[in-house]
Amino acid sequence: MWWYVGKRLLQTIPVFLGATLILFILLKLRPGDPILNLAGNKPVSQEVRDALAAQYHLDDPLFVQWLQFAKNAITLNFGETFAGQPVFDLIKQTFPVTVVLAVMALAIDAILGITLGTIAGLRRNGWFDSSALVVSLLLLSVPIFVVGFVMQLVFGVKLGWVEPTVGPDWNIGKLLLPAIVLAIANFAYTIRLTRTSVAENLTADHVRTARAKGLSNGLVVRRHVLRNSLVPVVTYIGINLGSLMAGAIITETIFNIPGIGNAAYTAIQKGETSTVVAIVTFMVLVYVLMSLLVDLIYAVLDPRIRYV
Amino acid sequence: MNAVNDTTPLLQVKNLTVGFRAGKELLTAVDGADLTIYRGQTVAIVGESGSGKSTLAHAVIGLLPGNGHVSGGEILFDGNDIAHARKDAIMALRGSSIGLVPQDPMSNLNPLWRVGTQIKEALVANGVAKGAAADQRVVELLEEAGLPDAERRARQYPHEFSGGMRQRALIAMGLAARPQLLIADEPTSALDVTVQKQILDHLDQLTDTLGVAVMLITHDLGLAAERADHLVVMYRGRVVESGPALDILQDPQHPYTKRLVSSAPSLASQRLSSQRARAEVREQAVQTAAEIAAEVSHSESQLGEGRDDIVVVENLTKIFKLRGAKPWQSVDFAAVDDVSFRLRRGTTTAIVGESGSGKSTVARMVLDLLPPTSGTVMFDGKNLRDLKSKTDRLRLRRQMQPVFQNPYASLDPLYSIYQSIAEPLNTHDVGTKKEREAKVRDLLDKVSLPTTVMSRYPGELSGGQRQRVAIARALALDPEVVICDEAVSALDVLVQAQILELLNDLQAELGLSYLFITHDLAVVRQIADNVLVMQNGKVVESSSVSEVFDNPREAYTQRLLDAIPGGSIPLGA
Repeated sequence: MWWYVGKRLLQTIPVFLGATLILFILLKLRPGDPILNLAGNKPVSQEVRDALAAQYHLDDPLFVQWLQFAKNAITLNFGETFAGQPVFDLIKQTFPVTVVLAVMALAIDAILGITLGTIAGLRRNGWFDSSALVVSLLLLSVPIFVVGFVMQLVFGVKLGWVEPTVGPDWNIGKLLLPAIVLAIANFAYTIRLTRTSVAENLTADHVRTARAKGLSNGLVVRRHVLRNSLVPVVTYIGINLGSLMAGAIITETIFNIPGIGNAAYTAIQKGETSTVVAIVTFMVLVYVLMSLLVDLIYAVLDPRIRYV
Repeated sequence: MNAVNDTTPLLQVKNLTVGFRAGKELLTAVDGADLTIYRGQTVAIVGESGSGKSTLAHAVIGLLPGNGHVSGGEILFDGNDIAHARKDAIMALRGSSIGLVPQDPMSNLNPLWRVGTQIKEALVANGVAKGAAADQRVVELLEEAGLPDAERRARQYPHEFSGGMRQRALIAMGLAARPQLLIADEPTSALDVTVQKQILDHLDQLTDTLGVAVMLITHDLGLAAERADHLVVMYRGRVVESGPALDILQDPQHPYTKRLVSSAPSLASQRLSSQRARAEVREQAVQTAAEIAAEVSHSESQLGEGRDDIVVVENLTKIFKLRGAKPWQSVDFAAVDDVSFRLRRGTTTAIVGESGSGKSTVARMVLDLLPPTSGTVMFDGKNLRDLKSKTDRLRLRRQMQPVFQNPYASLDPLYSIYQSIAEPLNTHDVGTKKEREAKVRDLLDKVSLPTTVMSRYPGELSGGQRQRVAIARALALDPEVVICDEAVSALDVLVQAQILELLNDLQAELGLSYLFITHDLAVVRQIADNVLVMQNGKVVESSSVSEVFDNPREAYTQRLLDAIPGGSIPLGA
């Protein structure tokens, strides 16, 4: 087990380096002069140019620049925004609400998705299963911003059950509707995955053997069907956290949530490339850590993995 | 086995009919079956796959799959009809009164729970024991099932167990709550013959001491007759014959039983007639092979010199590196250790051994699919290692072809039978399109399949038919050597007999040389001339078939011979 954990930890190093390399290359490929960019596209004198180049290591070889970039990312030193605020402070301000939103969406996705998927899987080809399949297909095929705007209009504006937008002083109640919107697309897929997995496990040989032992139906389902079915679902949900963060950009903009997605969106609009890159790099870090966590949960659920 | 004299039967199946719904069709799997088991008695149900024997067993324990149901007749357990009982009444019987030892030990344990926990569940669910007492009982049960070091084993997961060990754990599980009836559904057909014997011996002894009645389900008549006092023969959902084991074996009435008795390899291997038949095949094959050899020696396009020994293996060794105790360490494992043998043109050499003995690794090295660590494989005077050019390698493949164990896995499910057989012809650019089609027809004819199967897909064929297709594919390029790696092990006994006969006929007709890999000595006598017995990568005995059967030198060979089921039963004419 510990060897497995150690190996997974070691594997995150090349993954992280690779990700920063791609980001770094994208950064270098972007058109325009970085110094002009920095100075707001006004002509600069040679002295200022040299000073800026030295400050940002622009004269070093590319390899060294990349290492510097990776080092800054690990030490969370992301530089400053145009307004002079350290980017890390911006992240610190905006990240918590995004995390709360993503975790709420994840919880809705996991609880509803697994419950409904299990019921559908246990009663395969019944009316519940068929309608769950149709509804999930519908949800899968509608883009998230359409769902977002429609729900905002119906529940926020027409019915007035919730506030249509969140604004700077957010709380969990206000985040509920955005979290549901964010969860919807993933949740449809979780239902389908759980359903297939449960239905497949239900006919497994060892489940029949468990019944032959004299276990009650409830016990068989809880101990021998559910746990086995959850292995692929957990992987999917965990990896999903990444897409939840990506989806956050759209949802946060629709509902005006002061999260990291919104910050990224604003930075893109303003053309603050360095801020955008910093936020994306931070997200990569989070994503790498999340997949590490998923792998560890996976090992807890399935003893066979620990020996690979 | 001593049947307890008790007037009321423990289990009585009367005129049972079980149907399956497949779409709108209703298929009858069991059709009016009758069966009686008394307390402490062992009754074997014998039949081929699809005969309804497993369905009958699942009906008795109320575990028919969702689309199956009892559509007629009754199942009386201790006088109560369980075919029409409520669900919770049947559930109360499971485990506590009727135990099950399932067929495939690999898929019948939940991979995510410790083995001990899974046995404990059976104790808790049936109210036998709880908590620490149950843990203690689990260890006792595992010991009783013949698992050494039971305390540590109980804390391990199924993937840390071998097949035989898993089956012991499943036996412990089936007997945990001391049922009165144990259903053993092909409990050993997924295991090696020697392990099979150990497990069955142990099961016999256990059920005898505990006085448990056993319903043994098997496709092997020899095994059934050896283990049960009463036989029930099933064929296409019907019970065609039932009675005392010896009576059925010595005087079978139904044509199907007659066929079973006459051709099940475990029984047939005892007969002298099978040796005579083999001698005739060999004589013819050697003659044909000599003519081919003469041709080869003059031919430019074929590899080899037409030697008498077509495959010569010398000091063949294969060492695999395994992960050691520490992650960065590795351990050398000699899968094949200094193996030498010769395969004469037109004859069959069998390599026999348990799983893990290295026999399949030898086959893969002879086929040039795996590079040996040291030693040489000579094909008709050419060292395989010297075949560097693409043409030489293609020629080798033409002249040596494999047939593998699992006919379900060795055919591409998306290729039609025609495509599968014609593929080697296309790869080697043989003939025009018309000629290829004629060749495929000819091959199907040789393996006794109708040409109508050409457009069908593997999924539509039975196991025996698929293995015939695999043989046809191997023969497509007119090879001189065919390597059969457990080619009949996955098949029912009767189908085994048919495939062996087919292989013999083809050998006589085409002068083929076979390298025949198997774990089952029973089939060897009908197909082979020489035998190599392997254990732990080494050859422990090597001589002619009659020598090995009549006069085995090694204790290990003797053990393999003893493991042939039904070997000790006197047969009728």
